[in-house]
Amino acid sequence: MEATHGPRVFPLDRDRALVEAARADPAAFEPLYRKYVAQVYNLAVYELHDPHEAEDATERAFLAALAALPRFREGATAADGQDASTFKVWLFRIARNAIAERRRTLRRHPETSLDALAMTPAPTDVEAIAVHNEAAAAAWQAVASLPDDRRQAVVLRFVHELSTAEIAAILGRSEGAVRVLIHRGLRRVAAQLGERR
Amino acid sequence: MTSMVPGAGDGEIEALVVDRYLEALLARRPADVAALPDDVRAGAAALATDLPRFHPSFRFEEYLAMRLAQATNQAPPAGAIVAFPAKVPASASAMRPVVIGSVLTSAALSLAGAVFVAWRRSHPSPEAAMARAVRAVARTRPV
Repeated sequence: MEATHGPRVFPLDRDRALVEAARADPAAFEPLYRKYVAQVYNLAVYELHDPHEAEDATERAFLAALAALPRFREGATAADGQDASTFKVWLFRIARNAIAERRRTLRRHPETSLDALAMTPAPTDVEAIAVHNEAAAAAWQAVASLPDDRRQAVVLRFVHELSTAEIAAILGRSEGAVRVLIHRGLRRVAAQLGERR
Repeated sequence: MTSMVPGAGDGEIEALVVDRYLEALLARRPADVAALPDDVRAGAAALATDLPRFHPSFRFEEYLAMRLAQATNQAPPAGAIVAFPAKVPASASAMRPVVIGSVLTSAALSLAGAVFVAWRRSHPSPEAAMARAVRAVARTRPV
């Protein structure tokens, strides 16, 4: 008779080899860094609306990840699919914390108002980049005007193309809650973009 | 319409339909759009194609790579076991004088220094100007 021992963990994490190498020798962390630095930075730009603040949050996120790597536990299961990366989810959670910490600091000591940036169409550096493409600028502004949780879910879904399960793990929500967040965010964005047409 | 998720409300069902559509859209697969409102479908298509992706500057990327490399050099890997010989290796005889020798040398210098100072005070050179000065000062001091 086969005994059951709870959910079985499968060796499916696509970053397993890189993570194990980095654990054995922290100097081997660089391939993981190179693989994800653009994604973490991108997430930070969408949250902080400032390239310099995004760089700061990215730096903090990777330093924190490097320090915490020995505590990382791989947890991909068969249900997560063959592209699953629990390391990526773990890293994004660290990045999200670093970004949230930076946002709190900016709110306590505002250098520029994040709310104002989100509500007004006045160009920031980021928008100046996007202004080359009117459609990109419209999409950026529509997403920027969403409430925090919806914006994060929409960005993770559309920009990073993460699955609902991955987003749920990053945001600490259920998959159902994430689906509703994305749906509501999408409806609001669709309404805003529709008004522009 | 039959509920796909037991206990799910209309909003959750619609969210599930949208989620399946997005799954196909982002995987560049053909999707059934019959159940979706036009504005939602257009909005999803716009977000999937128009949202900008930002890349860090080359300078920042290289700076952070260097910063991480420095961080890895400063701290030993967590949980790393430092090799410690359980028995004296064959080359211990070559290592021992280095360690013990430094201690002996330090002590020897101290002893030699004390002996030399004591001897010099008791045997000042009569010719040296400094020795004459020292003796002159010593004579003025009360014993």
